[in-house]
Amino acid sequence: MRIESKDQFEVLKAQSLEIEAERKQRVLVCCGTGCLASGSKKVAEAFADEIAKRSIDATVDLFVKSTGCHGFCERGPLVVLNPQGILYTKVKPGRVEEIVEKTLVGGEVIPGLLYKDPVSGDRVEQYEEVPFYKHQVRVAMRNIGRIDPTDILDAISHGAYSGVAKALFDMTPDEVIGEVATSGQRGRGGAGFNTARKWQSCKDAPGERCYVLCNGDEGDPGAFKDRSIMEGDPHSVLEGMIIGAFAVQANEGWIYVRDEYPLAVVNLTIAIREARKYGLLGENIMGSGFDFDIKISRGGGAFVCGESSALMRSLEGKTGEPRAKYVHSTDKGLFDLPTVLNNVETWAGIGAIIERGGAWFASMGTERSKGTKAFSLVGKVKNTGLIELPMGTTLRHIIYDIGGGILKDRPFKAVQTGGPSGGCVPEELLDLPVDYEELTEAGSMMGSGGMIVMDDRTCMVDVSRFFLAFLEEESCGKCTPCREGLKQMLHVYGRIIAGKGQAGDLELIEKLAAGMQLGSLCELGKSAPNPVLSTLRYFRSEYEAHISDHACPAGVCRELTAFEIVEDGCDGCHLCYKACPVDAITGVVKELHVIDHEACISCGACLDVCPTDTIRTFPKHELEKAEVV
Amino acid sequence: MPTLKVNGRRVTVDSDATLLDAARAAGVEVPTLCQFDGLEPWGGCRLCVVDMSQANWDDDWFKVVTACNHPVEDGMTVVTDSERIIETRRVVLDLLLARCPEAPLVQQWALEYGIEQTSYTPNPEPDDCILCGLCTRVCDHIGVSAISSVNRGWGREIAPPFNEPPPDCIGCLACAEICPTDCIPFETSNLRRKIWGREFEMLRDPKTGEAVITKEQAEHFAERSGVPMTYFETSDRSKRREMAKTFEKLQVVK
Amino acid sequence: MAETPCSDLSKAEEILGRYPQEEPALIQVLQDVHRAYNYLPCDVLERVAEALEVPLAKVFSVSTFYKAFSLEPQGDTIIKVCTGTACHIRGAGQLVEELERQLGVGPDETTEDFKFTVKTVNCVGACAMAPLVIVGEKYFGSAKPARVSKYLAEGGADEN
Repeated sequence: MRIESKDQFEVLKAQSLEIEAERKQRVLVCCGTGCLASGSKKVAEAFADEIAKRSIDATVDLFVKSTGCHGFCERGPLVVLNPQGILYTKVKPGRVEEIVEKTLVGGEVIPGLLYKDPVSGDRVEQYEEVPFYKHQVRVAMRNIGRIDPTDILDAISHGAYSGVAKALFDMTPDEVIGEVATSGQRGRGGAGFNTARKWQSCKDAPGERCYVLCNGDEGDPGAFKDRSIMEGDPHSVLEGMIIGAFAVQANEGWIYVRDEYPLAVVNLTIAIREARKYGLLGENIMGSGFDFDIKISRGGGAFVCGESSALMRSLEGKTGEPRAKYVHSTDKGLFDLPTVLNNVETWAGIGAIIERGGAWFASMGTERSKGTKAFSLVGKVKNTGLIELPMGTTLRHIIYDIGGGILKDRPFKAVQTGGPSGGCVPEELLDLPVDYEELTEAGSMMGSGGMIVMDDRTCMVDVSRFFLAFLEEESCGKCTPCREGLKQMLHVYGRIIAGKGQAGDLELIEKLAAGMQLGSLCELGKSAPNPVLSTLRYFRSEYEAHISDHACPAGVCRELTAFEIVEDGCDGCHLCYKACPVDAITGVVKELHVIDHEACISCGACLDVCPTDTIRTFPKHELEKAEVV
Repeated sequence: MPTLKVNGRRVTVDSDATLLDAARAAGVEVPTLCQFDGLEPWGGCRLCVVDMSQANWDDDWFKVVTACNHPVEDGMTVVTDSERIIETRRVVLDLLLARCPEAPLVQQWALEYGIEQTSYTPNPEPDDCILCGLCTRVCDHIGVSAISSVNRGWGREIAPPFNEPPPDCIGCLACAEICPTDCIPFETSNLRRKIWGREFEMLRDPKTGEAVITKEQAEHFAERSGVPMTYFETSDRSKRREMAKTFEKLQVVK
Repeated sequence: MAETPCSDLSKAEEILGRYPQEEPALIQVLQDVHRAYNYLPCDVLERVAEALEVPLAKVFSVSTFYKAFSLEPQGDTIIKVCTGTACHIRGAGQLVEELERQLGVGPDETTEDFKFTVKTVNCVGACAMAPLVIVGEKYFGSAKPARVSKYLAEGGADEN
């Protein structure tokens, strides 16, 4: 079973392709975490039941494959039928029998299961034609959704480890670095540091050995591209790391996976075990003479461990406290030895870059940001999910053409990029091309690729407070500006949101923000003020309304907002009554419903479900005036 | 030996010096809280921030770094009192004053930077711990590690394991003595010593009867140094007397 | 120790046997211990400190630093509500409140009968299915406060 030469690898690859070719009918069921949460496991089981019932040969006549995340999580559970190329969405276990009978046996498409375009109303049959997929260029995610991540032969038949074969047998370590340099790839974890330069620094650094690490601590809330890659195509990560290790001559590597991603740990473990079995990992890889092995390390639940020096401390069994940045980890990293740390998506792209060439990768993207980038598009957008696009695509194209526009067609307010270190991009900047420098200049950041779309029912003061609260919980607490600064920022925000904002609060926030940016030890503290500063830059009037008028224009901040059902629009549908968690609404079906202001907790659940948009928000202090009158 | 400029003054220092060493050599004072000669610099309090420009950078391109742990490089330019540095130190002290409003050292430094009262919300349960980490760092340095920093973020505090009397403590008092705000309470007498909820018996000098050291500390030092325990049980006075006896035997050469 | 545990240390010994006896293994050991005992008992931590030759104070420091670890016994079933950005704007707060109404406990608290512990998690990476509730091993996407009792009772797959 162990591959001992390049030729043997080619033979195995050819065999795997033959196996794939023999499968006449293939059914791909998405079993990424998103679809699993929608019940896709039962869908896969239902297919297995049908096979048993009809006594079909499951290896050839109807091959069911559980794949990783297709990315279109909103429409899950997703099922793809090949060779037909049909995509079925929102598939329930109960409809599997119909799919087998009508489509697989009868050759008929079931329109009700097809993707329906939210604008045109058309049903789209072909996976490749669905706008969500049509515009994508998948490099890092090239095999996700096509392969069973737990089957290494399936991965090999789709190209996995071909890059390793080429690097180990046809290239020198310097040539590998040269190819990655040509590609212009920059780190996909957020900092955007040039990959080839990082590898070169490590190679040049003195030390008896060096390490390669994979940062799988995707902590940005709203980002899940790394999870999908680790779950859906773990081999792409292993392949990248083997090639990188070869380039810097490292023999040991770790993948640091955050604690909250159990399926990723499982699939990576299986992939490593399989790779070792076939001699693709471990001693004498493919008979090339190069030794390299990978271990998995689980995080303990700390966002700060996504910071490279904190991650390394965590690998050393310590608390995740970052260390001073003038010590480059390519000189002194893990165990004080030269270390290359790259993000999951960065590693996942390397195999493709080596196989297809750096020039191919560099042919996509912008001047300074080459290649493609994965984004998780979430929030108040119709088509939420995971996409990969060439750098330089505009935000407008992503949100409207691929995302299908704002949920319920409410007005767009801002898109938050870069996680807690990023900022909000308003409507007037929607034609911004996605590029590291462009986003930074706009006051935001590329970050991990999380894009959170916000509508008019989002309060920017509340959003900033959310990020501050998140970071306050995650701060390691070592340095004064971050530990104390986040807490104090939250005090000021708490005041403002409760309607007790004082004159001078905004200046206090700005002063503290500057102190945190300059004084903090690591990027967590340094970039913590970003959401604050970017919302102040584009939405200052919202802050002023909170402070001077004691009002929340978006109708979100509970202490400042009251709700009312407008008499004219209410048709008595009774939905608000059912949605209210504290029974503050009285009314009978078909009659006007009324909100009891004493009992109302201003949670907004009623407004969210009202089909006629009849519930309006107004400043709570107007209630007091009304009472006085 | 690298040469650099600090606030315009030229100094030459050892190649393993820090910017703080360079500043001191140049006669420039840089405030510190978590720095202590003899312990590895930590870079946690952020009070010692300075503006630094490397030799090959543009003349007006500076970076804010902590002086206590940043290494020197030939041709560097360091400014310890630029506007943004002063302002950053003010923010640090203002924040510390909110956390520890009653700590005299914090009050003093804050006053020097023009702050009498904190601009922020004061700590509802104030204590004097500024989380400089000196206590845990010296305890690690001695090779004991009886206490550590616990929790993270604002809830971070210095505590023994499980908030119980620490089994590894040797009662040396180094933590209490190094604490810049004197916030680690202890009692010590000729009979016993109490710290962190532990009680220690004092060993007495066999000749003078003075209480010298705790048994655990003597054992620990003996083990680490290879010097017999009797050395550590002897008081300084007794040691000097022993040494004086040897002087009798010395011949004075004229 | 102030509290009692006289834990069955055999589980801990088995776990320690899986790893090299040195500091870098600490967090992985603690992960396995936490899974085996449903929390980190202090007598087990003492044994871990001894076996890995790490000062007890450092083991305690690591145990309190990482959110994955609890030093108090937890409920049989852990309920996690994701409070990442996407879940936040899609109403995660309302889910936490509903759980508190039904179970009487807030985040990081355990019900008196030790059936449930409620936790908030800073993003589980299923953002497209926001908001998310995880009961034990089961993920419930597009969760609604009105369905919370269903999630608790069944712990089964949600039919959206």
